[in-house]
Amino acid sequence: MATSTDSQEQPAPSVASTVGNRSWLPALSGHGGASWHRWRYPLTRRTPLLIETRYNSTTLAAERRILNPAPILWVIGLAVLAIAPPPIGNNSFILSATSFAMYAAINVIWMLQIGTAGIFSLASLATVGAGAYGSSYLSVYFGFPWWAMWLSGPLFGLLFGIVIAIPAIRLEGFYYALLTVGIAELCRVYVIQDQTLGSANGLLGTDSFVPSGMSDRGGLILGYYLAFVLLLGALVLYRVVNGQRLGRLLRAAPERQEAFAEALGINYRATRIQVFMISSAALGGVGAFYATLLHGATPTLFTMDQLLLLLAMIVVGGIGTAEGAVVGTLIVVLFDKVFIGLGPIRLILIASIMLGTVLFLRGGLFGIPAQYAAWRGKRLSERRGVHSGKGGEVMPEEATEIADKQAIYLRRFDARVRAELKTLISEDLIREHRATFGKRRSDALERVLNYFRRAATADKYAVLAVKPFAEYRIVALSGQRGVPPRAVDDQIFTTVEDALHAVFLKRVQDLMES
Amino acid sequence: MDPYYLFVTAVSLASIYGLLAIGISIIWSSLGMINLAQGFTFTVSGYGAWLVAQNVSTNGFVVVLGGVITGALAGALTGLLAFIPLYDKPNFPLRSLIATLAISLMGGQFLLWLFTPRVKALPKIFGVGSIHIGPATVSHDKIGSIVCSAILLLLTLAWMKGSRRGLEIRAMMQNPEGAALVGVGLRSTAMAVMMVTGAMAGLAAVLLSQTYFISPFAGTTPLVKGMVVALAGGLGSVAGAVIAAVLIGFVEAFTAVQLGGQYVLITQFLFIIAVLLVRPRGIAGMIEHSRE
Repeated sequence: MATSTDSQEQPAPSVASTVGNRSWLPALSGHGGASWHRWRYPLTRRTPLLIETRYNSTTLAAERRILNPAPILWVIGLAVLAIAPPPIGNNSFILSATSFAMYAAINVIWMLQIGTAGIFSLASLATVGAGAYGSSYLSVYFGFPWWAMWLSGPLFGLLFGIVIAIPAIRLEGFYYALLTVGIAELCRVYVIQDQTLGSANGLLGTDSFVPSGMSDRGGLILGYYLAFVLLLGALVLYRVVNGQRLGRLLRAAPERQEAFAEALGINYRATRIQVFMISSAALGGVGAFYATLLHGATPTLFTMDQLLLLLAMIVVGGIGTAEGAVVGTLIVVLFDKVFIGLGPIRLILIASIMLGTVLFLRGGLFGIPAQYAAWRGKRLSERRGVHSGKGGEVMPEEATEIADKQAIYLRRFDARVRAELKTLISEDLIREHRATFGKRRSDALERVLNYFRRAATADKYAVLAVKPFAEYRIVALSGQRGVPPRAVDDQIFTTVEDALHAVFLKRVQDLMES
Repeated sequence: MDPYYLFVTAVSLASIYGLLAIGISIIWSSLGMINLAQGFTFTVSGYGAWLVAQNVSTNGFVVVLGGVITGALAGALTGLLAFIPLYDKPNFPLRSLIATLAISLMGGQFLLWLFTPRVKALPKIFGVGSIHIGPATVSHDKIGSIVCSAILLLLTLAWMKGSRRGLEIRAMMQNPEGAALVGVGLRSTAMAVMMVTGAMAGLAAVLLSQTYFISPFAGTTPLVKGMVVALAGGLGSVAGAVIAAVLIGFVEAFTAVQLGGQYVLITQFLFIIAVLLVRPRGIAGMIEHSRE
């Protein structure tokens, strides 16, 4: 169990926060019973907040840290969305907020297809369009009221989803992405050419959920709140699908590990299609809401530019997370609505943001922490490489990550001892070592030998007597119990003095190289 | 109906789609990038040719040249923005796909801002009228587009077969890392590929603009068609793209004559989905894993 105490840092403890790691997580005070208290969702064992209790190694005070601030930020953000827009905005602001909530809902559900199911479908808006056109058709030609449209929308979405899922069974990745771009274009051309679907003007004149006696502003606010509820529903759906059974099955079957997952008994294809169907139906539902909100469906739902705008939203936020979808939507909708006076230039601006994101960020805005951590780790190890050439002393930025401060001082001491000993090594010293076995040695040689003797056992050179008084070899100890030493070279020495001197030479060489 | 007319229409459509599809296919197989900015290249080249026709000369050759050069420049721009900064970064295929989509969004809006939504028309570079070949009557622009695209295609194929640069491109298609190891410059070869495929898209734009008008979003439909032709032919295969272009041209011409223009895309897509369900890598597609 000999671990080298002189050079390496302690194995990093599994706790997230070691001393010196500046983690700006909110710390709560608490002790005893309080440290084990957890809030739980009713009737389950699940906790909304992961809380860790530990003792601050500087002050030795007990403190509780919230390890995942995300739920708190979600609650604050959603509360702002629920309260802010109606009182502070004029009518166009409320309309923008409504479209934000609706697009955010679409993106969150789309994230289920792209992130969870791993099906890179670009037909999300087309699915919304199918729901919108289908329910509008029922309303215009069969007089369906708004609530029946809402009920029928998911059915159209599901139908559309089934149709576009057929190629998804066989096609992979980009083949499918390209095909879905084509399918959206096909829908656009079909809708424009079909008279019963209103041609280029769209199918307008559907029932609205706004009661007839309500004022314009009242109707807008009602629309906003319904869109907000829709967004909440989408987030709940994301949580249920992504965080529960289906999502976990698919997380066990990531790209290029499908065969492994299948061997475990996970039918990942069926699960993917299942997630795809669920999200298609949800997108159809959003489409029905769109139709009741805007009194119908228009061919713009199928245009490539609208699709690209949606793609910009999820790319800016980061593909694969719900918060990325919502924040990305917020940014793009802000640009789209705030700079509406600029005309086409605002879309150029949005496209440049999208391009910049994709050029410089690996996973959008919400991938920045991971990317920064990776970059910092790379720089740290580069610095470590540079400084280990300079005597292995611990540099300040590395010191913050070593919990045991003793190790830092030990390394500093060691580096100085070695620097001192290097000045003592000379040809005379080496000759003296060969000549004085069993005799009194000079002070300088004793200092060097004492340093060599107290080195850690791991990789320490030793002499192995193959045949006593006849054959000796140099080995290096493993430092682990039960692991035999390894041979260093093929040299065979006839006397133990020769072997010991060879070991000395090797150690001197290592010292001079360090 | 006239079977010869059907045939000529099919072949002329096939030649135009084939130009775009082969471009997409070559870019995918040599650079590993799905170039959805090919539609933007197409549109820009249309405007380039129009500017040349307005300001320089309405001579057919000059107009075609203007379109081709604009296309090559737009292709180079796409390469500079989407390939050069990204090709050695993680998750390159998806990020470059998104980058090309961003370029096409940006480009479309830029053209809309610069040229307004009003459509433009190119001069009839092949003249108006038709000639008789045996029993068939063929209009000038159809025969012109067939001949022009055949010439450019053959030139490109000969260049890819015969020249040093073509050898480098083919080496990069077969084994990008190996090609880099033996001294093929990844960046310069990529820019060459982008410019050649851009030139193809430029020619396709000029040829298609003989029939349709130029507008800021005119590139979407040809892009989608070129893309599905490349898909059906199998990404990465020039021969597959040619076969698929001919088949899809026939499907389009046949549907337009027999059922009516509004069913063209539907029958095309049914055809492509059927092809892809039988052969998920397209008619002659190579296996995707050979690109990794």
